[in-house]
Amino acid sequence: MLRVDVSKQLGAFSIEASFASEGRVTGLFGASGAGKTSLINMIAGLLRPDRGIITLDGETLDDTAAHTHVAVYRRRIGYVFQDARLFPHLDVRQNLDYGRRMNRLAEDPAARKRVIDLLDIGNLMDRRPGRLSGGERHRVALGRALLSQPRLLLLDEPLGSLDEGRKEEILPYLVRLRDEARIPMVYVSHDATEMRQLATQIVMLRRGRVAAFGGTEVLPTAALPA
Amino acid sequence: MHRLYMSRLAGLFVAFAILCGSAFSPALAQDNSLTVFAAASMKNALDDVDAAYTAKTGVKIVASYAASSVLAKQIEQGAPADIFLSADTDWMDYATTKKAINEPTRLNLLGNSIVLIAPKDSSIDHVTIGQGFDLAKLADAGKIATGDVSSVPVGKYAKAALEKLGAWEAAAPKFAMAESVRAALTLVARQEAILGIVYSTDAKVDPAVKIVGTFPADSHPPIIYPVAATTTAKTEAAGYLAFLRTSAAKAIFEKYGFSFLVSPTT
Amino acid sequence: MFDISPTEWTAIQLSLRVATVATLVATPLGIAVAWLLARREFWGKSIADAVIHLPLVLPPVVTGYLLLLTFGRRGLVGAWLADHLGIVFAFRWTGAALACGIMSFPLLVRPIRLSIEAVDQRLEQAAGTLGATPWRVFLTVTLPLALPGVLGGMVLGFAKAIGEFGATITFVSNIPGETQTISSAIYSLIQTPDGDTAALRLVVVSILIAMAALIASEWFARRATQRLHGN
Repeated sequence: MLRVDVSKQLGAFSIEASFASEGRVTGLFGASGAGKTSLINMIAGLLRPDRGIITLDGETLDDTAAHTHVAVYRRRIGYVFQDARLFPHLDVRQNLDYGRRMNRLAEDPAARKRVIDLLDIGNLMDRRPGRLSGGERHRVALGRALLSQPRLLLLDEPLGSLDEGRKEEILPYLVRLRDEARIPMVYVSHDATEMRQLATQIVMLRRGRVAAFGGTEVLPTAALPA
Repeated sequence: MHRLYMSRLAGLFVAFAILCGSAFSPALAQDNSLTVFAAASMKNALDDVDAAYTAKTGVKIVASYAASSVLAKQIEQGAPADIFLSADTDWMDYATTKKAINEPTRLNLLGNSIVLIAPKDSSIDHVTIGQGFDLAKLADAGKIATGDVSSVPVGKYAKAALEKLGAWEAAAPKFAMAESVRAALTLVARQEAILGIVYSTDAKVDPAVKIVGTFPADSHPPIIYPVAATTTAKTEAAGYLAFLRTSAAKAIFEKYGFSFLVSPTT
Repeated sequence: MFDISPTEWTAIQLSLRVATVATLVATPLGIAVAWLLARREFWGKSIADAVIHLPLVLPPVVTGYLLLLTFGRRGLVGAWLADHLGIVFAFRWTGAALACGIMSFPLLVRPIRLSIEAVDQRLEQAAGTLGATPWRVFLTVTLPLALPGVLGGMVLGFAKAIGEFGATITFVSNIPGETQTISSAIYSLIQTPDGDTAALRLVVVSILIAMAALIASEWFARRATQRLHGN
């Protein structure tokens, strides 16, 4: 259960958002510049709110009144970035293993195999990120975040920079992820079609404010400008 | 990749730790060695004397040659010298006032004379140096090399002599002041300077220069080379000082043109 | 011509030892300073940057004299170090290493700073989300990616340390076997009537070492680009 109630000033733009989400996949929907990335950066701990509270499953991650801020590396919140951000000096195997090592978790070969099979990346293990295709990189980024055993997974437009063919390649993986991985997700996108397929709850953002909140019925039928 | 990188890092720091450990090795002590700070003009003669001493006793001599002024200041700053051999008494007195010299060990060991030199192939020759001697005219458009007249012993002797002979004022602007007598010698040897004032002992060791005139002994204070042990000297210093007084050492010093001021022991 | 005398050999060995120690000790400090300059803003940052680059523009003799006043046996810090820790710098090879380390520090810091700045901070963010503390982010992401720049800086600093003269001779003078580096040895030899041949030999050695260092530094710079592109 994620509770967010924050405000933040970013230059000329301001965000004021308040919502609670119970769903398996909470979609943050809105046009580009609506404040989606800043919002999930605050959930991740990469950005600090000017004012407000963020709690996850009862644990306070941010509370500006009490001067509490849990550092990003202690939140156990996985983050799949729009630009994948794989470590170029490590191969795929080491990238995947990074989160487990940093969090000092025991090896779990069964879990590893599950994720690798889920994402179909078994044949990429010895490759460096520089030798992967765009789609492969995204799948590895997904696997890397999953294998750090997060209690919440943030995905920032994971399909945003891909062409149609790639998108159709990855989308089924995300659906499988939702159904099989049992980790709550916050999924950011401006694409209503993706949202409809994945999200169970939608938070619609417009110019830094929550414009609507509900199920997939709040999504517009036409696509929003990218 | 990680493991290789980590082990390389570890190896680097082990090497670093070892090298740092060696930083704590005792100062300058190969035991059985002495550090001698000696005037630059002593180099050739003292190298031979030191070799003879090492052959006789097995004690290694580490010699640092520079202008006596430079050495005296280093000793004042705590340089680890056991013996100080100065080219004039002023700098030995200076070191003494700074409480760096073991006074009872001091003795006036050697004497020297200053000469006027020119490059080997110079047209200048047979210069008579006496009252009214016009050094400026002799140098013409060229430079006269010697040690810095305000600090280096040979420079101080040179200036004193020229002042007494009435040649200083006119010649002063033409001086090229070097940081030691050997640096001045090199300037003349390379024909960067047309004339030079150095010790007669220096002129003897460099075939690229010739002596063109000798300064009368009464034109400057007597040139005396005092030697002494420092207050931080090792016990072997006494043996070294004793060796400097032997006739074996005397023979070497005189071969290079120094005059021996003490009566030699055998 | 190619017979290297014991004095010259001692000078070469001493130079290598002094330069190696100076570089190895200066490097962790250089990395820390470079990281601060690259990643942090703080009051007085430009002053700190200027102070670090001072040895590049100050006359080396001035730097050497300041070292003497501070770390000499009767110096502000040197007296305390000698009396309480038995560490002596003046007129010892450790002082030569200190002088060389300080003179080469700006040349060490600069390439490291540039290579840290070139590391994508978004990668560091990603590492944070995967549970890496700031220290582990530095060790596992920033430093490996900046490593070629670090090595290049070390090599450049080493070359400068091998060639250092003015500060060294002012601070630790010219004692054969202890503080007489290649540069000081050449300096003494050219003042000796028959020392020119030996001086030339050492000059050749100096040039060879410097050239090797520059070529190595260039090679590391090229590796840096390759590494960042994940090849």
